[in-house]
Amino acid sequence: MSVKYTPVQWNPNKWVYDAVLLAIVAIYISVFLRLGAAEADVSRPIDGAVLRMRAFGTCAFFMLSAILCIGPLARLDDRFLPILYNRRHFGVLTAIVAWTHATYVYNWYFNFSQINRLEALLSSNTAFGQILGFPIEALGVFAFVILLILAATSHDFWLSFLGAPLWKRLHLLIYLAYGALVAHVALGYLQDTENPTFALLFSAAALGVVGLHVAAWQVGRMRSAKGEWVAVCAPGDIAEGRARIVQLGPKERVAIFRYDGNRFSAISNACAHQNGPLGEGRILDGCVTCPWHGFQYRMADGCAPAPFTEKVPTYDLRLEDGQLMVQRHANPPGTAVDPLAVTGMEATP
Amino acid sequence: MAADLIWAVQIYLGLGAVAALGFLGIGLDRIDENARGAWVFRPFLIPGILLIWPLVLFRWWQLERADTEDTEGQGRFRPPLLWQPRLALLLAVAVPVMILGAMVLRQDGPNEAPAQLIEPAQ
Ligand code: FES
Repeated sequence: MSVKYTPVQWNPNKWVYDAVLLAIVAIYISVFLRLGAAEADVSRPIDGAVLRMRAFGTCAFFMLSAILCIGPLARLDDRFLPILYNRRHFGVLTAIVAWTHATYVYNWYFNFSQINRLEALLSSNTAFGQILGFPIEALGVFAFVILLILAATSHDFWLSFLGAPLWKRLHLLIYLAYGALVAHVALGYLQDTENPTFALLFSAAALGVVGLHVAAWQVGRMRSAKGEWVAVCAPGDIAEGRARIVQLGPKERVAIFRYDGNRFSAISNACAHQNGPLGEGRILDGCVTCPWHGFQYRMADGCAPAPFTEKVPTYDLRLEDGQLMVQRHANPPGTAVDPLAVTGMEATP
Repeated sequence: MAADLIWAVQIYLGLGAVAALGFLGIGLDRIDENARGAWVFRPFLIPGILLIWPLVLFRWWQLERADTEDTEGQGRFRPPLLWQPRLALLLAVAVPVMILGAMVLRQDGPNEAPAQLIEPAQ
């Protein structure tokens, strides 16, 4: 199967998602511009350009914090998964907001320098040896470059071209960027404001991010330590033609489908195309259909119907004390597994 | 120093532009069948190629050599994200330290007393 690349993938959900994001950014910026001036030290009033610069800078920081919260939230509770799927648009918007911030800095603080402005930005403070008065510009530039790389490589093409493992490793750079940004703000804006509002919001966001990561890590460890077979739910809890998604490891999800009334099969939740959530797909023509681009897989062996060649891993299932149990370790992609027929449930043809 | 750095960055981006031309013009069609005939999305790839062109050339070369679609095998279903928890935990230590440190070290401190210009009378 193949799907031609398009510049930006939009569907009605993503339109809504992006519209909500844009609205929040617009509200944040206008509120900051209205209230932010009062937050500054009265003895050092700031003017419009600096205020705008801070509005966009802090906005980008909070956006990045929100982005980093999405991953652990989705691991803690499946209901956050829909936000996860559109995270890339969120990231690109963050890079744009950060770009605006950087442009203000560049055009304001270094506008009257004798030398090239970029050169001035990089060389105006080189006191790397001290903590207070540390050249926060360098930290900002570092984080900004990472944001640019991640935004520029967020298109579907990059995921398939670099391959999922490499792409994900590249995108782990987000953590370094976030660390640098916390330092950038802590040694920069945080030093200037006398009013605790920003300090509180900033600390809450940053500590929230790390707190959620630690929590998700803990829960992930607890969840993955359950032995060879993992309990899913009672067979009747899964609606006909739908799936239950279960987390097996920190990054491994299995989708257990019910079909024909009393049959159950388990396949990887990650689509072979671009890791779309198969467990949220419908069953069409006896195949699971990926909600993202419509790739299909047979329930019995995880293979796409001929002439296509995509395969996903399957999992063994069994029934124990009225509970569906799924084998912790996946079978190689395309392995045939007989569906589990639960006696006592009504089969529908 | 800064001037040299800017110069190096310009060279890097210039080479990236050459790589982008070569890759979008020739390489893309050879290694990714989903891109064949799809032209509108290509300009969207330019910023990425400019920024990480050494990696792009490396992958291009790898894919040309492998000549198979599936170079990742089962690995893609269990991406080796060992580093994610490590980085997250590192961040969990570094962030509180940085915030606390910055608050404690504040240039003019939250509880700073006004400067005494005149010695108080005895
Ligand atoms: S069809 Fe594209 S991710 Fe499943």
